[in-house]
Amino acid sequence: MRNISLLLKNIFKPVAAVAVLTIMFMSSANAQDAVEGRKIFKDKCSSCHALDRKMTGPALKDVDQRHDEKWLISWIKNSSAMVKAGDPAALKIFNEYNQVSMTAFPTLTDADIKNILTYIKEGEPKPKETAETAKVDEGVSTFSIVGVVFIILAAILVLIFLNKAIKFLEKVILKKQGVEIEEEVKTPFMKLLRGMLKNKKFVFSVVLSLVIILVTFGWMGMWETGVHTGYQPVQPIKFSHELHAGINKIECQYCHSGAFKSKNASIPSLNVCMNCHKQVQARDLYAGQISPEIQKIYDALGYDESTQSYDKAKQKPVEWVRIHNLPDLAYFNHSQHVVVGEQAIRKEKGLKPNEPVCFACHGPVDTMVEMYQYSPLTMKWCINCHRNAEVSTKGNAFYDKVIAAHEKIKKGEKITPALLGGLECGKCHY
Amino acid sequence: MESNKKYWKGLDEYKNTPDFVENNKNEFVEPLPIEEVLNEAGLNTVTPRRDFLKALGFGLGAVSLAACQPAPVTKSVPYLIKPEEVVPGLPNYYVSTFNGQSILVKTREGRPIKIEANPNAGIFNCGTDAQAQASVLDLYDVSKLKTPVLDEEETTWANLDNYVKTELNKVQASGKKIKIVSSTVNSPSTKAVIADFISHFPNTKHIQYDAISYTGILKANENSFGKAVLPKYNFDKADLIVSFGADFLGTWISGEEFTAQYTANRNHKSLEKGKMSRHFQFETGMSLTGTNADTRITIKLSEQGPALIALYNAVTGNNLSGGNLSNNSNAEKALKLVAQELLQNKGKSLVVCGSNDVSTQTLVNAINVAISSYGSTIDLDNACLKYSGNDAELTSLVKEMNAGEVGAVFFLNSNPVYDAVNAKQLETALSKVSLKVSFSDRLDETADLCNVVASTPTYLESWGDANIYEGYFSIVQPTINLVFDSRQAEQSLLIWSGASVTDYYQYVRNNWEKNILPFVGKTWDNVLQLGVVTASPKVAKAYAFNLSLTTVASSVASSSNSLKKDIELQLFESIPMRDGKSANNAFLQELPDPVSKITWDNYIAIAPKFAEKLGYKEFDVLTVKADNGYSVDLPLLIQPGQAIGTVSIAVGYGRTKAGKVGNNVGKNAFPFTRMVNGTVQFTSTVTLSQTGRKEELAQTQTHYSFEGRNIIRETTFNDFKKDPAAGSGNHHKHKVYDLWSTDKHDKPGNDWVMAIDLNACTGCGACIVACNVENNIPVVGKEEVRRRREMHWLRIDRYYSFNDEKTGEDVTKETEIAHMSNLDNVSVVHQPMLCQHCDHAPCETVCPVLATVHSSDGLNHMAYNRCVGTRYCANNCPYKVRRFNWFNYWNDSRFDNYLNNEFTQLVLNPDVTTRFRGVMEKCSMCIQRIQAGKLKAKIEKRPLKDGDIKMACQQVCSANAIIFGDKNDPESEVSKAMKSERIYYVLEEINVEPGIGYMTKVRNIDSTTKEVHA
Repeated sequence: MRNISLLLKNIFKPVAAVAVLTIMFMSSANAQDAVEGRKIFKDKCSSCHALDRKMTGPALKDVDQRHDEKWLISWIKNSSAMVKAGDPAALKIFNEYNQVSMTAFPTLTDADIKNILTYIKEGEPKPKETAETAKVDEGVSTFSIVGVVFIILAAILVLIFLNKAIKFLEKVILKKQGVEIEEEVKTPFMKLLRGMLKNKKFVFSVVLSLVIILVTFGWMGMWETGVHTGYQPVQPIKFSHELHAGINKIECQYCHSGAFKSKNASIPSLNVCMNCHKQVQARDLYAGQISPEIQKIYDALGYDESTQSYDKAKQKPVEWVRIHNLPDLAYFNHSQHVVVGEQAIRKEKGLKPNEPVCFACHGPVDTMVEMYQYSPLTMKWCINCHRNAEVSTKGNAFYDKVIAAHEKIKKGEKITPALLGGLECGKCHY
Repeated sequence: MESNKKYWKGLDEYKNTPDFVENNKNEFVEPLPIEEVLNEAGLNTVTPRRDFLKALGFGLGAVSLAACQPAPVTKSVPYLIKPEEVVPGLPNYYVSTFNGQSILVKTREGRPIKIEANPNAGIFNCGTDAQAQASVLDLYDVSKLKTPVLDEEETTWANLDNYVKTELNKVQASGKKIKIVSSTVNSPSTKAVIADFISHFPNTKHIQYDAISYTGILKANENSFGKAVLPKYNFDKADLIVSFGADFLGTWISGEEFTAQYTANRNHKSLEKGKMSRHFQFETGMSLTGTNADTRITIKLSEQGPALIALYNAVTGNNLSGGNLSNNSNAEKALKLVAQELLQNKGKSLVVCGSNDVSTQTLVNAINVAISSYGSTIDLDNACLKYSGNDAELTSLVKEMNAGEVGAVFFLNSNPVYDAVNAKQLETALSKVSLKVSFSDRLDETADLCNVVASTPTYLESWGDANIYEGYFSIVQPTINLVFDSRQAEQSLLIWSGASVTDYYQYVRNNWEKNILPFVGKTWDNVLQLGVVTASPKVAKAYAFNLSLTTVASSVASSSNSLKKDIELQLFESIPMRDGKSANNAFLQELPDPVSKITWDNYIAIAPKFAEKLGYKEFDVLTVKADNGYSVDLPLLIQPGQAIGTVSIAVGYGRTKAGKVGNNVGKNAFPFTRMVNGTVQFTSTVTLSQTGRKEELAQTQTHYSFEGRNIIRETTFNDFKKDPAAGSGNHHKHKVYDLWSTDKHDKPGNDWVMAIDLNACTGCGACIVACNVENNIPVVGKEEVRRRREMHWLRIDRYYSFNDEKTGEDVTKETEIAHMSNLDNVSVVHQPMLCQHCDHAPCETVCPVLATVHSSDGLNHMAYNRCVGTRYCANNCPYKVRRFNWFNYWNDSRFDNYLNNEFTQLVLNPDVTTRFRGVMEKCSMCIQRIQAGKLKAKIEKRPLKDGDIKMACQQVCSANAIIFGDKNDPESEVSKAMKSERIYYVLEEINVEPGIGYMTKVRNIDSTTKEVHA
């Protein structure tokens, strides 16, 4: 079955692609210009402009009707010069947008700008077909698995049914042939069971093993009390680390800027979100509307998208649910671990060079659609690492004196945090 | 050379009373109720099996149910828009100014949580005092006003502004006078605001008075030299200091600054150079400065005038009349000695006097001129502007009010209904004024009588500036937004006078950019970073004295004579409470007085012999009645060193409208003050009478014996010069028997140790408050202090010792002590006592759960979460430095005066856990600071430097008495200090190997001064 679906998929893919390309190609004669223009637009313009709505700069739809091409080219290349020169149209825009001049793009050629203008004229290509393809693509794998399971189940049921039917038919045939069928008696099994129950040794061993199993599970369960590995609460905003850290490869520190400086990694304040989400609104996924999750950021900040203004009276902080809860009595410092102890932790936890050191304790965050607690965060877990990790002292003058002193006692042992006093109560509890 | 001098902590021990001898055998003062417990019915009853099972079942069920609760969901709420400079978890420091001293304010996530001295403060090269340390708690005071108040109802600023403006215009139209009553204003911008106000309302007059007045010195300097200022005193330039009742290390003018100057000539560094100043103190009550004096001579208040006249005569050879001290032959002898030494140390000595009498201070000026102090130890050319109040103006104010001439009065940073000399008259006169405006952060005694209270923020929320010395300007900048709906007084005045700039920040900035910055070559941004700008100081000149002293001397003599009654009363500022402005600060209320060790109260201090003569016992509640009719009931405290025939009472207590904490703590002693010759006198004559009641004072150092152990070691300067190890006991080491000789632990990394210089420590107690703030130490209140449950990790033990009055020799044997007749012949030593971080810690071996263990860097760790509260450790600690949490002080309605509300809890240091009920705690050697210092070095990839890590107590100490550091670093200051011959360890004979070394106390006394010491 799986083979069939794969086959279908493989056949469908090129067909769909060809279809889409044909449609696109046919839809516009200047397609090459528009595609190139779209690329430049996304790269250079989209952080301040959209086609259909006002952002930092004006909406650009029909800009070619408002200004002639020559004016636009010189404006894009150096708008402030035009403002200085006193061009009335330029001055008007300049004043309308709080006298903030547009970034100059002297590197764009006239052809580039023309491409952009073509794209603006054409508008966003209709992505309908592609979306459908994608949907099919996505559907295949899960659909096929479910299908396979269903078919196997059905087959088993059929087999069982057939078996029963055969047995029944055989009985009927035998009856017809006049053969006496002995009624199946369950006595041997019952006898065995009774005998077993009378065997005290057996009963004892069963009870004992049950007790052992229960106690073992109980004990293990108790150890897990208060350990919240896998804790994955529902957050007020459906923020996906997979999307941000995984797909878009945003550095952890971009948002958790405290991690390398302070004891707190810190949850980003919403102005950090707004650095991108003033522009990134995922409208293409929500039929031209702002994503409801991004809208939550705007609501919290009292941000009105249409006027691009903040209303302090409407502001309401986001109450995230804390996942990694260290008790107050334990002092943990992020910067100590990710700056000073980075190499040691990487080595101990076997991180790949391209993985951020954060993964050592927080797990594969780049695959977490919803964030969860990856490590147990128990004291045993802390201590184990402090016992085993090798402190990387190379290139840190702080350790030079410490090593000189330790050489006397360590005789070639590896320097663990424990050796430097990292297991002493007061180092974390004060 | 080992000293076997006797010390005693309390009078019972000293007198060796039968009670004491009996109690001394027992570990506990109060008998333990063992018999009662054993005889109680409870122990004899039988628990039936069914009851037992019921209880067991219930217990199990309850525990299971309690355990079924899901883990609580914790919310994390980040900033909406994070201020750029804030990194959660890292502190920010801002410069500001407290009482004229430039400080650094430590803020965490926007909350001010700790005050430190500004290291760039120039002439203020000192730590901070207890008040500055505690001031951060005032910000989180729940007793403050949340909105402005108009006619006893909460109102808005717009309403209030309308009302005041209309009323002011009415007053202006009627031609009546407007008065602004304030304590000394030394802020240039506030002065400018007041000047603007006056130019808008020309009928206005600004009246300055100080609760603790220095008018006497101001007037005397005006009379003598034509300059009505306080001089800048240079105690560091004085080899010989003679003080007549001036508590210059504590409360007099600028205690912290003087402490730094004073100890510079007496600490271990100075001693190593073979230099030590000499200090004579003539005083009535035992002051902090008196306890530090090399030679302290008790004189009655009425003898101070004659003593000064006698000194003047002896120094100059003149013969002014009135210098007769025949009743106090000891003082007479001492004065001759002092005069002789003053003449030998011309230009290198200093005479100061705490009196507020113009004539007395004029006489002191004359003496200082005669010994050439001006230009060296006294600097009149860079004057101190901290106090410039004029007492006489209060009298005229009341007169004008009563005459109905005053239409409006403003109270700025002042509370005259509580602390003015004529408070009672002022209170009645106030009813004749139609517009009464108080700028106060709370409804205090004065604000309560005003119809407008324009609530003000604390200095931590304000803009401002200060000008404490000529040419020395510091800035006040806010470290947090306004917490309540308050407004700075200056801004209110600007709005009411219709100024063009009503934003006070802009006003201050304009003022600085116009009047200050151009002359010092700095920008506004520089100021916000440095905190201080200074113009180059002028050269201090010598001054001549041309007045005739005959009238002065007769005035001094007559005011002295007027005090000659049976019982003379001295009013003084106590170190914790000062003038009572911060009475609502729980940290200060619980800070023990450095001498009496009393918290949460004022009291009548009386000499032991005098009390015996009058038939009073300690803690008797007596009625003190003055000639002016005012009387209070206060408990009696036997205070050795108090002059016979006198009693002392601290002002600053007895606030009735300070707030939750400070209301009705002690009794108000300000009404005992008298107006004499135009200045307020803090002296009076009183009668005492029994009320028949007794009230136990809350004392932190109680009457335990320390079994005659050699805890304090001291020597004289002469002996020290011959042998630096004199008195340290280092020549006769005991043989050491070591239980752990086979189990040595290396300290390969750091070895954190501390050296405490007993000769530098003045005992002021600022370190106690600093420790409280840094380590979230709870305040427990009067009742709990009485039960000896105060939580201070650091205490300062005060020990008395004494000399034989005949020979001047140390008295050594207990039998001799019992036969001493002169009980006032005391010397005092202050010893900061904190966890000694013993290498062989007795507490560690007895902990059943290993909650307290040793670290490889020499610290004794305390894991609160492991502690089950057996208190074995406290029992086994020879230093008694472990404190037990009897309650959850932050969540218990019985301790409402401190942390029991979420607002006040914002003062807590987030790097230190708060401790739960049933947990032992003690000095951690500020381990959070050690860890932070190490981490900083690691991140910067550099070795840890000496001085990177400072203890809270060390940083606050003006005297630099506490030296902390790494003993493994041979170049560190502490390892050098630990090699000093003066170092000894407390109870070293029990071989617990303490990590804290003490340096012997050195007294600059010799055979001549020993004779007069009393």
